[in-house]
Amino acid sequence: MDKYFNSVYITNSIPKLLPYLIVTFMVVGLSVLFGTLLGFILAVAKIRKGKIAKKIANGYTTALRCTPSIVLLFLTYYGIPAVAKVFGIDLDHVDKTVFVIIAFSLMFAAAMCEVIRTAYESVDKGQFEAAISVGLSDIQAYVTIVLPQAFVVALPNIGNSLLALIKEGALAYTIGLIDIMGKANLIIAANMNAHALEIYIGLSIIYWVVSIVIEQLFLKLEKVLSKGKQVIKIT
Amino acid sequence: MLNYKFLVDTFFVALSGAPTAILITIVSLLIATPLGFLFALVRINEVKILKRFVQVYISFVRGTPMIVQIFIIYNSVPLILATIFTKLDIKINIYDVNPIWYAFIVFSLNTIAILSEVFRSALGTVSKGQLEAAQSVGLTNVQAYAKIIIPQALVVALPNICTATTNLIKGTSLGYAMSLKEINLRAKVAANVGYNYVEAYIDIFLVYLIICSIVEYGFKLYEKRLRTYKVVSA
Repeated sequence: MDKYFNSVYITNSIPKLLPYLIVTFMVVGLSVLFGTLLGFILAVAKIRKGKIAKKIANGYTTALRCTPSIVLLFLTYYGIPAVAKVFGIDLDHVDKTVFVIIAFSLMFAAAMCEVIRTAYESVDKGQFEAAISVGLSDIQAYVTIVLPQAFVVALPNIGNSLLALIKEGALAYTIGLIDIMGKANLIIAANMNAHALEIYIGLSIIYWVVSIVIEQLFLKLEKVLSKGKQVIKIT
Repeated sequence: MLNYKFLVDTFFVALSGAPTAILITIVSLLIATPLGFLFALVRINEVKILKRFVQVYISFVRGTPMIVQIFIIYNSVPLILATIFTKLDIKINIYDVNPIWYAFIVFSLNTIAILSEVFRSALGTVSKGQLEAAQSVGLTNVQAYAKIIIPQALVVALPNICTATTNLIKGTSLGYAMSLKEINLRAKVAANVGYNYVEAYIDIFLVYLIICSIVEYGFKLYEKRLRTYKVVSA
């Protein structure tokens, strides 16, 4: 067994992989940014009365929920340049990272749309009406009364979606992005496929730690933010 | 711009991978449901050493990407099996093993963790009084769970079980990493010949969309049926 498995490779691989965590975080960060924006638009479309917009938003979330991220990744990677070519735009030399970010933004938007919608609906309508009745404008009422309450409700779901995004992000290596997963595969290839197991274990430890840290951060944040929340007890 | 003939042909190629994906999903669910339930019970009843193990296990599965789990299993199980086989002098070449067996292992292990969390939260929604009431009328613990607790918890758990199932189906698309001939790999291989990747991935997308939509619809119908028995207290 010694010949095949040597735990030294695990400890050696971790420092080699860690610098590439920045690439992973950059992709995730940008996807969160664009995904949240798009998700917000979709959520508004679902909440508002407009029938066509609602249908489109519903169709979008259903389709994205049913698509494996690896399929979405390749669909954007091959599909967007193909569509652009029809309009005479050459996207062949665009960096792969862009397509990765587009794919994961699209995916995260579908998740965030549902998160935002359910959080918004969880805030009692009376809160908004009460805010209006004391003289706040619509925007003030949303920003100071509805949003802070909705945010607390949304927080655990945002955390889950973020963790899912980080994990799905590992698939970006399939189109050649050198993030932490891509680097692990490069190391393995450089070793002539020997000791792949140890390097994947090292990789999994990094992902595990990142997930635990983010999970704990969200739990802390939730605790801090829900401090002002008063639960009305019905006796 | 699209090669429509290829698009139609490859759709059926991709569809031919669907039985593999569905088989893996069903086998994984069959293995994971009882074990996941057991794990949930371990955490609820705080069984001492086991509880720690279950916690670490669930945390690991949920904290690492599925693709990394696949690579770990795919690289370690043959090693372990080879050692066992040589020790016991069994002459089976582990490299001839159908990758579907590895897929069963990976996806079952993954689903156990996911389902155990689903069951745990669902069981938490059933009030303790229900169990006590069942015991007080003379039911055994097993009877109480089978007749009183589980039917109630199932209604709550169903949407999450549905999500877990669709995620599992989507997860099988990673079977290509184990050279498993499922939807994704079949269409991709067909596309390799003429670089028709756009068409191939549209087909893969459609096949998953169809399968997942059917599964979601089925769960919705089942949920409706279960809910009819639920009395909503005002």
